[in-house]
Amino acid sequence: MAFPALTFVAVFSLYPAMDSFLLSLYSDFPGPERSFVGFGHYAELLQDPVAHQAFIVTLGFVLLSTILELLMGTGIALVVHERFRGRGWVRAAVLIPWAIPTVVASQMWRFLLNDQYGAINAILFGDRVNAYIPWLADPWMAFGAIVLADVWKTSSFTGLLVLAGLQVIPEETYDAARVDGATAWQRFRHITLPLLKPALLTALLFRTIDAFRVFDLVFVMTQGGPGDATQVIQFYGYKTLFTEGRMGYGTTISVTVFVAMAILSLFYVRTVGSKLLQREPA
Amino acid sequence: MNGLHVSFSIAASSFLRHFSPWAVGLFAASLLFNVPFAHCREFGTAPFGSASFDFARSLRSGQAQDRQGRLGASPTLVSSPITLHFVTWKADHPSVWDEAIQRFEQAHPHIRVNREIAPHSSTAYHDLLTQKLRNRDVSLDLFFMDVIWPAEFAAAGWALPLDEYFTRGEREKFLPATIASGVYRRRVYGVPSRIDSGMLYYRKDLLERYGFSPPSTWHDLVRQAQAILEGERITNPLLRGYSGQFKQYEGLVCDMLEFLGSHNGSFLTDDDSRSNLTAPESVQAVQFVREQIIQRLATPAALTYQESESLAVFLQGNAVFHRNWPYAWGLANDPRHSKIVGKVGVTPLPRFPGGRSTSALGGWLYGISAYSRHPDEAWAFIEFMASPEMQKHFAIHASLAPSRLALYADPEILRANPQYRDLLPVFQTARPRPRTPVYPIVSHILQRYFSRVLAFPGTDIRKEAQEADRKINRFLALLRDL
Repeated sequence: MAFPALTFVAVFSLYPAMDSFLLSLYSDFPGPERSFVGFGHYAELLQDPVAHQAFIVTLGFVLLSTILELLMGTGIALVVHERFRGRGWVRAAVLIPWAIPTVVASQMWRFLLNDQYGAINAILFGDRVNAYIPWLADPWMAFGAIVLADVWKTSSFTGLLVLAGLQVIPEETYDAARVDGATAWQRFRHITLPLLKPALLTALLFRTIDAFRVFDLVFVMTQGGPGDATQVIQFYGYKTLFTEGRMGYGTTISVTVFVAMAILSLFYVRTVGSKLLQREPA
Repeated sequence: MNGLHVSFSIAASSFLRHFSPWAVGLFAASLLFNVPFAHCREFGTAPFGSASFDFARSLRSGQAQDRQGRLGASPTLVSSPITLHFVTWKADHPSVWDEAIQRFEQAHPHIRVNREIAPHSSTAYHDLLTQKLRNRDVSLDLFFMDVIWPAEFAAAGWALPLDEYFTRGEREKFLPATIASGVYRRRVYGVPSRIDSGMLYYRKDLLERYGFSPPSTWHDLVRQAQAILEGERITNPLLRGYSGQFKQYEGLVCDMLEFLGSHNGSFLTDDDSRSNLTAPESVQAVQFVREQIIQRLATPAALTYQESESLAVFLQGNAVFHRNWPYAWGLANDPRHSKIVGKVGVTPLPRFPGGRSTSALGGWLYGISAYSRHPDEAWAFIEFMASPEMQKHFAIHASLAPSRLALYADPEILRANPQYRDLLPVFQTARPRPRTPVYPIVSHILQRYFSRVLAFPGTDIRKEAQEADRKINRFLALLRDL
């Protein structure tokens, strides 16, 4: 059983990763032969202020969007977990943002936030066209807009994971608590939340990793601007690789993100994962 | 719905239970890299890789000749039509292009042209095109090159040298600046389809109402705009003094080149060997843009504007002055798009006292892929599209300014574009952006620098310029060592 799985991992994960790593050890240019530069690009990356800024922007995005998405997701899950008329429809509706391709959603947010005809300005200011705010022109608001778009888009995914967690909590525990006279808040605090932990941690794991890869929102909404305020690390890597054609340095950025994420994932799986496994009923 | 959720949660938990932490970590991490990893193999043959940065090859007698010789030796007995694959951008006037290609196919019944429409944005188009070329895509025959690309395409061996096709005598009929943009190391790689250069559009009606003539200096422009804004505050509160392109993208580089150039500043020193951004003339011009243009005349939203957004503001009648390329003339006078038909004037861009009006050279060159199997047919296409007749078609129906000098005396073209009469000197002196195979890198550094100092009013322009200087010099030095 292990062999096909290992082959799969080797061909599709290990090989490309190693190949990229090798590529990152060679110079971008010049010369008739690409020369071996060892870890030169990695040393360059450590001193590259643009990369530092991109990394900080990415970290900020990951932190903010993950926290907000977990909160929103839990809220969504609690609502659609309740029994009410039309629950099926609501559940389907909640998933719509997640089902829309990110590129389309990003374009939609770009239109919504437009300074001349954007719906958000129209709702806030109506006919007072002179008060319309160019959201994406301000470095901080542009960053906030990217976070907002991601939260809107992905909260339902966290909601889905949390809902799955809610559904495995046996109804009897609540009944028993009710018999003991526990209030709704106490039931939530002492039953729902602890039993929900595995699902929340799974959601946290997926969202952190996913948020690190943010690219399309930035590509469509701001192109990293203004003044690199929304330039995330993956977009910087894209520009270096695809527009500038710097294979060595571009892959160095990719490999660094890859290694950082691998370490983070291992950390999550070690700590969070072991907690998850302990929670499983014997 | 219930079943789905339960099975999902089972799947997720069994996933975590049955796989080793390493495998999970690897899987999770592999999710990250769908973009770069998926394509990394193709990049083995990088543009700056062994085969491609080979100047010796591009300096050899020339591929065009080899191919021609071979084709000439065996007479072409083609019965089935040849299909040329032309990767082009999304045009501002699609129907005008449709008609042009139809006419070509009628004139050359054995050639068909299959168009692949790439994004409108120059950078997005560049990324798509260079990816195909890196992969040596033999199905690609024809493309456009932005005037900033030929050095990169030539150095990488992607563009076919056209010296054998594009004769010296023929080249002399074009505006010299457009020919120069297609030349790299004494070989010509592109045929100019048109010329673009930045120019100042203005509201003729408003300037007349306030007794102004078109401004010749930037300070005049600011003064006039402020007087008009003051007077029109009640009639049109949305009116802005200036509308240009200040988003962090390639267009920002063009707009800033014009400000710097008209203040005797520049991006690079005269011999193109070093960055010149820290020169006082260059720094002061940037400061002027930040304090006078962005903070006083334009809306802050200009920091998100490319050509189309800034033009929309002008066409709505909400800008006194507007910087754009020649194509905007046709749209500004088209009642389907514009509220200011007949109220538009166009003039060379202003200068600073002691400086000269400077306009960025833009435009697109036809090029043939070095990997094309049909270079002769591709040349037939280029020859047809760049002919005087077709350039006239584009000038009249799409207001694309011709790259052939003689057409500026054509009465029909001048009737459709009366502004060409005055603007020919602008076209003839348009200033190119730096010509270097590492232009995309230089451009990114410039874009970051300008966008930062414009978007963050507190930044120290000199310090940011030094930072950009240092980076640009590093890459220019790398090239010198070649």
